[in-house]
Amino acid sequence: MTFTIWQALLVGLWAAFCFAGQIWGIYTNRALFIAFGVGLILGDLKTAVIFGATAELAFMGFGVGPGGSTPPNPLGPGIVGTIMAISMDKLSPGAALTLSYPFAIIVPFVITFIFTINSSSMETAKKAIMDGKYRKYKWLSNTTLYGFMLFAFIFGFAATESTSALRAFIKIIPQWLMNGLTVAGGLLPAVGFALILSTMVKKEYIPAIILGYVCVAYLQMPVIGLAFVGAVLAFNNYFNGKKSSNDSNNQGGNDGGIEDGI
Amino acid sequence: MASKEKVLTKADYRSAILRSYYLQNAQNYGNMQGTGMLNSIWPQLRKIYKGDEDKFKQVATSNLEFYNTNPQPYPFVSTLMLAMYDSGQSEDDVRAVKMALMGPLAGIGDALSQFALAPLFSTIFASLALQGVIYAPLMFIACLIGVTFGVRCLMGYLGWKVGTSIIDTLSDKMQALTDIASMIGLTVIAGLSVSFVKVNLALQYSTVVKGKEQVVAVQTILDKIMPFMLPMLLTYFVYWLITKKKWTIYKIILLLLVLGIGLSAIGLLKP
Repeated sequence: MTFTIWQALLVGLWAAFCFAGQIWGIYTNRALFIAFGVGLILGDLKTAVIFGATAELAFMGFGVGPGGSTPPNPLGPGIVGTIMAISMDKLSPGAALTLSYPFAIIVPFVITFIFTINSSSMETAKKAIMDGKYRKYKWLSNTTLYGFMLFAFIFGFAATESTSALRAFIKIIPQWLMNGLTVAGGLLPAVGFALILSTMVKKEYIPAIILGYVCVAYLQMPVIGLAFVGAVLAFNNYFNGKKSSNDSNNQGGNDGGIEDGI
Repeated sequence: MASKEKVLTKADYRSAILRSYYLQNAQNYGNMQGTGMLNSIWPQLRKIYKGDEDKFKQVATSNLEFYNTNPQPYPFVSTLMLAMYDSGQSEDDVRAVKMALMGPLAGIGDALSQFALAPLFSTIFASLALQGVIYAPLMFIACLIGVTFGVRCLMGYLGWKVGTSIIDTLSDKMQALTDIASMIGLTVIAGLSVSFVKVNLALQYSTVVKGKEQVVAVQTILDKIMPFMLPMLLTYFVYWLITKKKWTIYKIILLLLVLGIGLSAIGLLKP
């Protein structure tokens, strides 16, 4: 399967739009959504969405980044991983995910680079406004956005154009290594889950974790059902928490009354 | 102080809410969101200081300073600031409010959008997609954009409507909301993490049962003791590496990659 230059251009534009979403805060830069568009453009929506969902779960916690570090970016699997999954029939979603990690790791370096070259933004903008060059300020106030879009366009375009090179590269991978990559693809989602757990977990939430495990492991509950069960626990907690704080307030009031009486 | 005639209309405030999407357009390591922050209230400032170019330049450049918050609840800051500028309050007061809100709103916004809403929708729609619901990605993005746009509008309205005094009760309410969303999210995430992390032992041994030889996979025995035991242990192990050992993500990815390929090569794990 080879892709036309028009498809490569479209993937580039799609990548630029999706990556801009990271700046706008509209979540279009998630692997699931990026993969959807790539699948639509390259004509294999089903494979793309299955792969996108696999990558989404593995990269779920990666929007966060503990301690100010820039984590691997879902643009890598979203674009490159989806292209690999679509263009190579025998590649499992797990192996495609593992193979796209290097691309996920390149992206944060580019982001750091763009943030760094724009570091003098404040002084330049100040000067432009003081000189009355408002147009120039307007341009300055969008530089990071332009940088992101330009990079993502090149990234998407180049990835689609080099499909045959990617395929040739993957063909020389021996079977035992391919199995290993698939196994690793099964282990890697643990990072995404652990990362998101590390930011969310408090002692009070431990029942939710056990409940979730029991529902899936023993009851094989589908995900929407799982959300409802979680809601029951959450609301139960919320209302009971309210009641007990009300109770202690009332009690405090009574104590005061008795003391006053004495 | 509040002697100034107000010039901003409701439409101006609505536009300020929409312009909150420009906040990070100039994100950089110098003043973070500062340069973009000014752009998000630019036309409104132009309107307020119409006819006094020097004053405009002074107020505009003062807003270029360092700013870094979460973009979702940010409209609370911008509309509140505009309301204060428009009623002629001192720039120092506006700046104090702006800076005071930066931290708390970043905390509330991150907790709600990054750690609660995004993972919740992410797990739900990704697993629907895996079950063959091909348009799940569209529903995913519609839900996230819809909910966060709602948050922005509400915050913008509150910023315009009330002063700083409300922020205490507001953060209480947001806390409750975050708690509920986090708990639902964790239930879903905990459930799915065990079934999406795949660790399959390839080990098996032969045993003689009632005179017949049978091959028993160790994985089957483990599943009988406790289903998904290994995925759970692995997730906890990575969690432990992140929280207790302070490993970077890159190091962990490398470790899992080596483990996956190595253990599969020696025949301990299978796809």
